Amino acid sequence: MLEYILLLLCLPPVCALLALTGMFSNNILHWLHRLTATAVGVSVGLMASKFNPAEPYMDDYFYVDALSLWVVIIITTLYVAASWTARSYLTREERCGVLKGEQLQTGRYFALMQFFCWTMFIVLLVKNLGLMWVAIEATTLISALLISFKFTRAALEATWKYIMVCTVGICLALLGTLVLYYAQLAALGSENALSWVYLHAHAEALDPALTKLALLFLVIGYGTKAGMAPMHTWLPDAYAEAPSLTSGMLSGALCSCAIYVLLRNLVILLPTAGSEMMSSMLLFFAVLTVAVAVPFVVVQRDVKRILAYSSMENIGIMVAGIGAFSALSIKAVMLHMYSHAMIKFVLFYIAGTIIQEYQTRNMMRIHGMIKDVPHTATFWLTGMLGILGLPPMGLFFSKFYIMSALFNEGHWLAGSLLIVLLAGVLIGILYHGMRMLCDNAKRQPLGDLLGAIDVPVLALLLVFTCIVGAGFENLPWLNNLLNHAVRVIGG
Amino acid sequence: MEYLVVSLMFIVFLQTRFMELRRATLCLAVQSALIAAACLVIGLSHGGGLHGWLPGLLTIAVKVLFIPYAILRTVKGLRDEREIVSDINVNYSTAVAACSLALGYMVIDGLLPQAEGRDILATSMFMIMTGLTLIVMRSRAIMQMIGLITMENGIYLLGLIMTEGLPLIIELGIFLDVLIAVVILVILTSRLRLSFRTTDTNVLDKLKG
Repeated sequence: MLEYILLLLCLPPVCALLALTGMFSNNILHWLHRLTATAVGVSVGLMASKFNPAEPYMDDYFYVDALSLWVVIIITTLYVAASWTARSYLTREERCGVLKGEQLQTGRYFALMQFFCWTMFIVLLVKNLGLMWVAIEATTLISALLISFKFTRAALEATWKYIMVCTVGICLALLGTLVLYYAQLAALGSENALSWVYLHAHAEALDPALTKLALLFLVIGYGTKAGMAPMHTWLPDAYAEAPSLTSGMLSGALCSCAIYVLLRNLVILLPTAGSEMMSSMLLFFAVLTVAVAVPFVVVQRDVKRILAYSSMENIGIMVAGIGAFSALSIKAVMLHMYSHAMIKFVLFYIAGTIIQEYQTRNMMRIHGMIKDVPHTATFWLTGMLGILGLPPMGLFFSKFYIMSALFNEGHWLAGSLLIVLLAGVLIGILYHGMRMLCDNAKRQPLGDLLGAIDVPVLALLLVFTCIVGAGFENLPWLNNLLNHAVRVIGG
Repeated sequence: MEYLVVSLMFIVFLQTRFMELRRATLCLAVQSALIAAACLVIGLSHGGGLHGWLPGLLTIAVKVLFIPYAILRTVKGLRDEREIVSDINVNYSTAVAACSLALGYMVIDGLLPQAEGRDILATSMFMIMTGLTLIVMRSRAIMQMIGLITMENGIYLLGLIMTEGLPLIIELGIFLDVLIAVVILVILTSRLRLSFRTTDTNVLDKLKG
């Protein structure tokens, strides 16, 4: 087990440093990037096949259980997909995208991407809640450089907002971690400081007043990072201004990481802080997040911002699922995290391609995609249906389970509000998406730019969500893993 | 300790008064030096060792020397370096700082009534809230950076008093994060100056809806 973890943590930084030296041509860099990601993917696969969910792996610094393995699988899938599609995306970006006429710094981009994934792996593998905080802050800093990659005025604005809002939020999370450590010192002494396993075993001993305080700070802090309203102001700007590959990673992978850390902390705090306070707080934030996103989805004109607001909506649903806190809803949150990551990556990638094809981000100027760019249009349509939660895509099942868990647990007010709001999102996205697909073209695209290697990668991601969402109960290994992940959280 | 509390409060109030970036940065350096002193005093009084003096020395190296140096270098490149705010605005942030000092005492009395070191805990809450005020109310990029470091210093002080410092490896990680954050913010500030010809973040209002 340890050898796979070390492989996971050593390969990306080595590749990043090699890319930074600038000794290699772009061609070699592309292959280096792809091979590193594939090697990491293979080692995660081996790790998963050797892993027994009933017996978590643990040593002085690392800890892997079903929950962390599941999020590692999500992030690795996106990482591999992003590395295989990077070449055609970046070539197009240079030819007809925002980077037109500029020398693309491929080495810098790959190095940042590798460091970004590396910091996310650290978040998922460390045992200590303090180190988890350090790694989350590191993801903020690295992704800030990825968002401002083009250093245009809009990108700078988005990055400045991102780094200011997120760093303040993360500082509050540090405050929460300090309060938690204080509670540990008072109740258990300084042995095994902030070790998740130790705290998990002795969670009942902590002082309830202190854990409530810590819960408040941690939910607000890590909630900022996940993009919960009202601390979401950075999210649409950052997702829209980053290069599309990065937006997909931010929305799919980073958001899952933030929710993972929130879950880890909640597990420690819940036995003493009580689930009523946590439930009402999370459900309030969840409904607020979706409610804030809906009007912006309906009146949106920018093709990437509409996806960013749809991310907020999905974050709201996941937080509501955590708020309901039953075995069913937590399992559904796990599934939702997976399907949302895959589908949102595809959608952001396609949005980037559409911007390159039509040379505009304004959805009002794009029509007749289905006639002019059939490949892109197919993926756009499938992805859109997927993100709205229509069967057979995975999000249908997870949304359905989350809603049913909300009503089962008696949160009928939050449940009915969410259903009404989700209908609003459906109308908004379908209206804009269908306008782009049908109608008569007034503007001729540059052509169907989707590359030969993009199609299988994106199609695979979409098919994965169908299989995982619809068939997890018929896949014994997967079902076992998810059940153990639910048991870790204890819904 | 009393001297430390009084001088920290004084220096943080002073921090809200400055409009000129160079003086504000020097004030930040003095503030970090006081934090480093507190760190060394507390670390050594609890039996020294690596954990006793290393965080203090790192505070001096990172927050007293490197960060002010990096900020001052950026300030040198700015042509119009006075923060464009009226005196009223500065008075507002001092008034808010005064309120947050009172609020800090109230929060500490309410949440941790039996904790020792009430004054210094309230001071650290005061620093956190003043840092937030600086970020929210000031528009210059560099003043926002100073607010961020003030807030970080406050949290660090709070951790130091409440828990006698986090485990060493976590503290090292936090120092590394602060260091990288400042490097990235300095890069962004100089890019702001190149693209917008100013570091006033009020110009960053194009992305809406």
